[in-house]
Amino acid sequence: MVPIDPGEYQKRLDKLTSMLGDIVQHADTQAQSRCPYKNRHGECTAQFGCRNQRKNPQAGGALLCVGDDQLDYRSAWESEKRPTPPTDAQGSGQLRCGDGAHPSTRHSTLFDASDALSVAVPTSCYRSGSCHECIVEVKQGMEALNGRTRDELFLSDPYRLACQAEIVDPDIDVEFAPLNRTPRILTLSTPPPNAIDPLVARRGDRVFYGEEEVDTYRGHVLGIAIDLGTTTVAMELIDLETGQSMEVASFENPQRFGGSDVMYRISYDGAHPRELRQAIVRAINRQIAQWCTTFNVHRHCIYELVVAGNSTMRDILFRYDVQCIGQKPYKSQVELEFLDGQRPHTALCEKTRRLGVRAHPKARVYGLPLVASHVGADVAADLCTTQLDEQADAVLLIDVGTNTEVVAIHNGRMVAASSPAGPAFEGGAVTYGMPGYEGAIERLRWNGSGWDYSTIGNQPAQGICGSGLIDLLAELRRHELMSPKGVFSDRQRAISVVPETGISLSRLDASNLAQAKAANYCGQYIVLRALGLAPAQVKKLYLAGGFAHYVDAQAAIDIGFLAPVPVERIEKIGNASLGGARDVLLSQQKRRQLEQLVQQIEHVELETTPDFFELFVDGCQFKPMPSTLI
Amino acid sequence: MAELGDIANEFIRDEIDEFLEREDERTRNIEHFAQARPLMQDIAAALIDGAHEEVDALTRSALDEGIEALEIMDDGLIAGMGIVGIKFRENFIFVPEVLSCARAMKAGMAHIEPILSDSGIEPIGTVVMGTVKGDLHDIGKNLCIMMLRGAGFVVHDLGVDTSEDEFIAAIEEHGATLLGMSALLTTTMPNMGKTIEAFIDEDLRDDVKIMVGGAPVTPEFAEDMGADGYGKDALACVELAKQLLSE
Repeated sequence: MVPIDPGEYQKRLDKLTSMLGDIVQHADTQAQSRCPYKNRHGECTAQFGCRNQRKNPQAGGALLCVGDDQLDYRSAWESEKRPTPPTDAQGSGQLRCGDGAHPSTRHSTLFDASDALSVAVPTSCYRSGSCHECIVEVKQGMEALNGRTRDELFLSDPYRLACQAEIVDPDIDVEFAPLNRTPRILTLSTPPPNAIDPLVARRGDRVFYGEEEVDTYRGHVLGIAIDLGTTTVAMELIDLETGQSMEVASFENPQRFGGSDVMYRISYDGAHPRELRQAIVRAINRQIAQWCTTFNVHRHCIYELVVAGNSTMRDILFRYDVQCIGQKPYKSQVELEFLDGQRPHTALCEKTRRLGVRAHPKARVYGLPLVASHVGADVAADLCTTQLDEQADAVLLIDVGTNTEVVAIHNGRMVAASSPAGPAFEGGAVTYGMPGYEGAIERLRWNGSGWDYSTIGNQPAQGICGSGLIDLLAELRRHELMSPKGVFSDRQRAISVVPETGISLSRLDASNLAQAKAANYCGQYIVLRALGLAPAQVKKLYLAGGFAHYVDAQAAIDIGFLAPVPVERIEKIGNASLGGARDVLLSQQKRRQLEQLVQQIEHVELETTPDFFELFVDGCQFKPMPSTLI
Repeated sequence: MAELGDIANEFIRDEIDEFLEREDERTRNIEHFAQARPLMQDIAAALIDGAHEEVDALTRSALDEGIEALEIMDDGLIAGMGIVGIKFRENFIFVPEVLSCARAMKAGMAHIEPILSDSGIEPIGTVVMGTVKGDLHDIGKNLCIMMLRGAGFVVHDLGVDTSEDEFIAAIEEHGATLLGMSALLTTTMPNMGKTIEAFIDEDLRDDVKIMVGGAPVTPEFAEDMGADGYGKDALACVELAKQLLSE
């Protein structure tokens, strides 16, 4: 052994110290934006629990870190030890889905079982519990599963997220089924317009966006119209050379995990920037990819996307901070910039690449202009579809949704308001409420001793959608089974609708529906009153949006959901926003007109109307709106 | 002028080719590794890979072959750590990877320590380090330990969730004169004070210098609970340790 010279050794230590010093300094800088426990594979190396930890979809893999390196990751750290990694243990129980069965294994998830049974369950978050797409109904054996995780608190029995539901007792049989959540497509088929002048056009073998040459002709010039609803998203693929619609697709807005109405979404977006935008962009891209396969076209053939949607939905997609729409005076950043003279109008246009949308890299995403405040680009699109402008007389347009917008036109004035109705008629806040998916009860009649009903798709009843709820409330009133204040007769605590499956309406449900209805009521009342227009004078009521298309108008009038306009003057126009987006996609002229038209609209804010509270209390009663509005 | 192909170890060649972008660093590392023995390159490769068991075995066999300790440090351990530092600086790897490389480095140095003492070189000091009871956060503490070891300290790492008794037992067992405690939670920070009290109760307080650190800890808090010093980060920790020893 050769002895070591102390001086030489010290030189090595000094060198090492200098090297390591650089390392710890860089570690310090890096720690400001990246959790130091996150390794280069994005795995978590901490011994403690953390909210950013997610199960690795690869069996036996380390926990994944889903922190976005933006937030203060320390706030996600927990002080408790994380649970010990699971050990597999097969039990005597069976996991069943459809016709298949698979032995139950401790700590495996229902998603693992779906894989084993070759059952397709959707996910867009690598099974980390964040996308909320993998909802399954547990038909039997809920007691074999772990308790609901933090990611599943939004679900009620018997639903679970397949990626989070883990077997704790493998000796119990479990039967589950993926949720059939295919929303009905609510657009009315319209023939392509006779003359089109889209912004994207082919000249010879070149494709132009306006005057800009963007591509060599690839055999197709396509565009997409999108209606970005809070609850449901509808997309239409359109051939820009012929104006022909190729296909309409519709899916649940994947941002549902961020809350069911726009106010929840706004606060979620504040706390978790980018998540909502990424969710919707992923969903749009998935639909584009699907169409590209179906029609065997390349995504580079898509040159423009036109988006209608309420102010919040539109601006989240366009990467704007939406916090200011959520607080007084409820104006978006875009509207404030417009009012400040920094923008000629409130329409938006961005390159797809900047928004992360996978179409032609030079393609544009155009956001329809918004009217004011929460009255967004969806209403602008409705106006486009109905060809309404200030020349119209005694016209009322109501776009019913999680946020209901009302526009009235009379004597050359246009007045708009937005009412935050909430999701009670769209599946939220009501125990057995559900969106208009298959299996939803959409029609109800009281037969003297029980309920006759029909469901969407004639599937077994799973819940009640908006049109069904309006029928139910109106029938309860007609047969004196409920007072205008929502109190059930004979001191019943709940009205049983389908006794076999337990579907019922509770007193609390009725109260939540009353408030949602009141918001709709106030919007119409205040807008009509502002123009001195009595409901009976309304010559035309256009009823747009989601479930409104399936609503029995008389029932809606009876409970005060709609103003008492003579029923024959009501025209249901379905998902008019999508139609408006399509019109704008196909017509430069309409686009320019709309950008100007929305500036003519006066906006009234409901909450600052002096008698708003009294109107709201009146509106909470299940009875028709008065015929004169004072 | 040496070229990349002159380096025998394929892993090292790939590392240099893939991760070293600055011309001066490429040249310097190629020169250095090209002249290093293949076994030294293997040690460096294992260290870069964070394979501590391999570093342990390779260092042992190198010494057994009669290779000088300083050469092992120069061409194996320190040369490997140099590449780790560059990869970290360029964000190719992150703190957890660096720490596993540091652990591999320690595995190699463990074989060199006896030679140091035989050569009459005593460690600059012996430190017992741990995260206090109830606390499972260890990154900051581990970075401190890496620095201390690099500066020539012998460090006994008690890990996380360390009870007062464990601290006391380790100090006695290793004859350490320095105790380092870390806490990341405001809820566990008071356990530093409790540990200090336990040392007083055992009549051992005068035998050790106690230094504390961690995100919520402040110099005032350190003084209040009777610590001898506070280090705001791993660099300060080494300075503080040296200063406390000279007192």
